[in-house]
Amino acid sequence: MRHSTALPAAWIFLRILIVLNWIGGALVLGLLAYTFVNEAWTMKALEVTADADGHAFMNGMRTIAAFGLAAIPLNHMMFKRMLRIVETVRAGSPFVADNAYRLNTIAWILLALQVLSMIIGGIGEAISSPAHPLHLDAGFSPIGWLSVVLTFVLARVFAEGTLMREDLEGTI
Amino acid sequence: MAILVNLDEMLHQRRMTLTELAERIDITLANLSILKTGKARAIRFSTLSAICGVLDCQPGDILRFSRDEGAGERE
Repeated sequence: MRHSTALPAAWIFLRILIVLNWIGGALVLGLLAYTFVNEAWTMKALEVTADADGHAFMNGMRTIAAFGLAAIPLNHMMFKRMLRIVETVRAGSPFVADNAYRLNTIAWILLALQVLSMIIGGIGEAISSPAHPLHLDAGFSPIGWLSVVLTFVLARVFAEGTLMREDLEGTI
Repeated sequence: MAILVNLDEMLHQRRMTLTELAERIDITLANLSILKTGKARAIRFSTLSAICGVLDCQPGDILRFSRDEGAGERE
């Protein structure tokens, strides 16, 4: 298990995700800012008509981008905690109280991300029209909510595992 | 309420040192010291059996229950 390539790969993958997350966030922020700086060009690029419906669509897109930006720090917090957990597994001591707390925090972050996804999906549906069709991969996700529940359960498993380990260490 | 360990007394009666007992039951001196000072959370049957075998005594000679001592130490 300790010689598994999965852990080093996960560590590298998470490091890359942390960087990509901020790059993605910066791009979204840049695009969002540019919609205000040069609205006409943005609307033309997105093939949005310059009428009332088009302006409502643009405002909806801006709101979606703003909610998307809110996910960036949440993602960062989650990836950092996952990275710390992987590091403790590599060090051979995953059943520590810190990991139980980290998993609990990750579960809350996942819950927040699911709520954000539903809000974004709702806005997407609201602004989508035959003239401006919008298909977003957001909204209610049974698997997403299942992952929230599973992570909360896993946090409890780690908390119990930590207690069991402490008991075992005190057994002569 | 607490479980008290009378290992010191038994060792004294048998004229044996903690180091000697540790060597004979194949357990580290550090762990045996933890047991002797009552800081262990639990004791394995195999450890208890080995100690009783070497000291030629019963588990009750090593362990004692006290209602008065150790109250509030854990939870």
